[in-house]
Amino acid sequence: MVNKDLLVTDILPNVSQPARYTGHELNAGAGYRADAEATLLLAFPDVYEVGMSYIGFKILYDIVNSNPAWAAERAFAPWPDMEAQMRQHGIPLYGLETGTPARHFDVLGFTLQYELTYSNVLSMLQLARIPAHADKRGEGDPIVIAGGPCASNPEPMAPFFDLVVVGDGEEAIAEIMSETAREKRQGAPRADIVSRLARIRGVYWPQARNHVERRIVTDLDSAEYPRKFVVPFLEAVHDRVALEVMRGCSRGCRFCQAGMIYRPVRERSMNNLCELAEALVGSSGYEELSLLSLSSADYTRIKDLISKLASEYGPQGVAVSLPSLRVDSFSIALARDVEKSRRTGLTFAPEAGTQRMRDIINKGVTEDDLMAAATDAFESGWDQIKLYFMIGLPFETLEDIDGIAALSRRVLQLGRQVAGARGKAGRARVNVSVSSFVPKPHTPFQWFPQNTREQLVQKQSYLKDRMRVRGLSASFHDVWASHLEAAFARGDRRLAPVIERARDLGCRFDGWSDQFRPGLWQQAFADLGLDSSMWANAEYGYSDTLPWDHIDMGVSRAFLVREARRAENGLTTPDCREADCSGCGVCRGDVRVRLAGAFAGNPSQGGGRA
Amino acid sequence: MSRAETVRVRLGKDDEIRFVSHLGFMRAFERAVRRARIPVAYSGGYHPHPKISFATALGVGMTSEAEYLDMELDEAALGHLSTRDVLERLRLAAPPGMPVIAVCAADGRPTLASRIEWASYCVGVHDDVRHELKDAVLEFLSSDSAIAEVNTKSGQRRADIRPLVRDICWSSNGALECTLACGGRAHLRPQDLIAHLHSMQGRGGGPGQEYEPIGRFCIHRTGLYFTDREGGDLVSPMSVECRDLVMAGS
Repeated sequence: MVNKDLLVTDILPNVSQPARYTGHELNAGAGYRADAEATLLLAFPDVYEVGMSYIGFKILYDIVNSNPAWAAERAFAPWPDMEAQMRQHGIPLYGLETGTPARHFDVLGFTLQYELTYSNVLSMLQLARIPAHADKRGEGDPIVIAGGPCASNPEPMAPFFDLVVVGDGEEAIAEIMSETAREKRQGAPRADIVSRLARIRGVYWPQARNHVERRIVTDLDSAEYPRKFVVPFLEAVHDRVALEVMRGCSRGCRFCQAGMIYRPVRERSMNNLCELAEALVGSSGYEELSLLSLSSADYTRIKDLISKLASEYGPQGVAVSLPSLRVDSFSIALARDVEKSRRTGLTFAPEAGTQRMRDIINKGVTEDDLMAAATDAFESGWDQIKLYFMIGLPFETLEDIDGIAALSRRVLQLGRQVAGARGKAGRARVNVSVSSFVPKPHTPFQWFPQNTREQLVQKQSYLKDRMRVRGLSASFHDVWASHLEAAFARGDRRLAPVIERARDLGCRFDGWSDQFRPGLWQQAFADLGLDSSMWANAEYGYSDTLPWDHIDMGVSRAFLVREARRAENGLTTPDCREADCSGCGVCRGDVRVRLAGAFAGNPSQGGGRA
Repeated sequence: MSRAETVRVRLGKDDEIRFVSHLGFMRAFERAVRRARIPVAYSGGYHPHPKISFATALGVGMTSEAEYLDMELDEAALGHLSTRDVLERLRLAAPPGMPVIAVCAADGRPTLASRIEWASYCVGVHDDVRHELKDAVLEFLSSDSAIAEVNTKSGQRRADIRPLVRDICWSSNGALECTLACGGRAHLRPQDLIAHLHSMQGRGGGPGQEYEPIGRFCIHRTGLYFTDREGGDLVSPMSVECRDLVMAGS
């Protein structure tokens, strides 16, 4: 146990948001016991409010704590003020439930949601007093495991993990815990436990660089899902009942990693969802119920589901919300049903400014779709629309960038007309968010280089100049952050020492614009004699060996090559839910598309934002 | 309780959630009400909010056995629930660290927040510090005014805090007990009083030096009070214009 008196008297009164570090929330587990057969510390390399928003983290926590023989606790990256206090007072990283130091757990499991949390992983290991390198760990050190979407290319972080779980974690975590318990009972040495766990399906052993096939839960209805959420006292980023209506998306946007690595589409049944909603609303008291997935409007029985949930829980003061909207009238009708308030604005993601580019990225949205959806939205009383676009996509020309400005202006003009009919033309606003394309592993665009930083800066300022219109505001993602994201997404093991160096230089919370210090990252690369553009801006050939080739996400290389070639030729590929199988290769044996009803998508209408 | 529209609830805030903010504490209670399926009334408009109003905020880091709130019930549901029912349901639904101490029916007018004038605290003090503070307390109580640095929302300022202190005494177990002005009209934070007592001994922070005793002293709120209109005595929010008082464990 860490020194709680010291925390209370000398540390917590002096840090921001001290409730991040005290636990004791409703529905939190009892935590570590010395006599538990296997113990897990779930570590999230970002701040509490972010980590408490992720459903995968809640699922794993629930699975382990549901077994009376096991115990799981949570740890989040301490904010820099807290980290400084912990270092000054010699407080190690600890689990929130009992204050047990991280070192005492059998397994330390990191979630890798985002490349720009890598420096936090290393600072957390340091605070935990666990050697950063797996090959330096010995008897008494926890087995350090990673999972999450970034596990689809774990190489830049590979030396720091004993093992990496690739794919759905529901079944794998239970196998890891029971194998660990069994080996411990038999008094197996640590190294033997690691090599035993490495034989579990979906587990990658960085030391062995084995070929690994992604774990896929075939049927979500029978997979574990929490009936209780830990309810934070602090407001989490997504502080609500999250109901995962389905997993996977087969819209096939060629830039989208989530749309590739979570295939196939697996919907939950209505019965299952209603039962989960009942349990979760009752056990949490949350005021919002959110239908979570990559594109919830695609859920085949979405209308029935929303009307059922809204009529059941609306009278109890619980609002139903839909976080991702497609660009179509159907989605606006759904949004009208769930959103009592028209004040927050609606978000659409056309992603590209010209039809040519939308065909290249296989975003099945036409300008007519967008205009129809925007008309519906403005007519339904929303005055603000947010549009998401990307720059730096493969085959991009200046025309495509002009197209972003032109399309945004047309939506604004439309809003002025519609709002003008109500005498409120000035109220119409269009907020445009422009990110830079990051080529991601396991997508058809994995071979393409990211634009150089200089190109991106130029394109941003070119676009900025064309967006100076009253009622239109544009925000741009930080170029350096996107550049590093690309380098780590496509990186290999040579990056590991760079991340370590950056941690030593003080890099933390790189995903937070107020904490991100690109100068230190530049120095870290320079100190190792490396250049981040070697990875971010590398163009790979279709027959090249890629750093993540041994991680098999289920989608075949042949499919990705075919999709990349179709992009080159401006050819689109329809969603397999409404057309023929596109041959991505993921469906095998029990792994197949599972729908709760008939898919009624319109071929010209694209998926939600990844 | 069939005539009542408002129930008044007394909560505690225990050690394990002392670093939860007032906002977090309120949100946690609202969620407990929803879990308890108590038919609370909602405000109209685009974002309906349950009609729950707390008497006053408690500083982050303090514990309490005197957090009061008024909660308006939905008229349609009145008559089915006794204050005992409300108490029992809330006790089952409340998160750890938030004991439900008492419930009664109240008129709810004027508002709870506008009537609170005093708060009492019990401050845990180390033995060595107690000796230093004893003289300061005597001196403070015998003087007519006491100009002190106090922290307000708009920063530090100097003010006479003597009228804001009704009473200071030492409990049998050596804790400092004090009754301080609380509420919108006049307010004194217990940590400002302690900092002032320290400075009278030549201790505490010099100019510009932050002195934050909230961690080193366990500050526990023991009561909130109205002032009796006639005699000026302190009265508990559950003793006037209230009916059907039920307490946990009774």
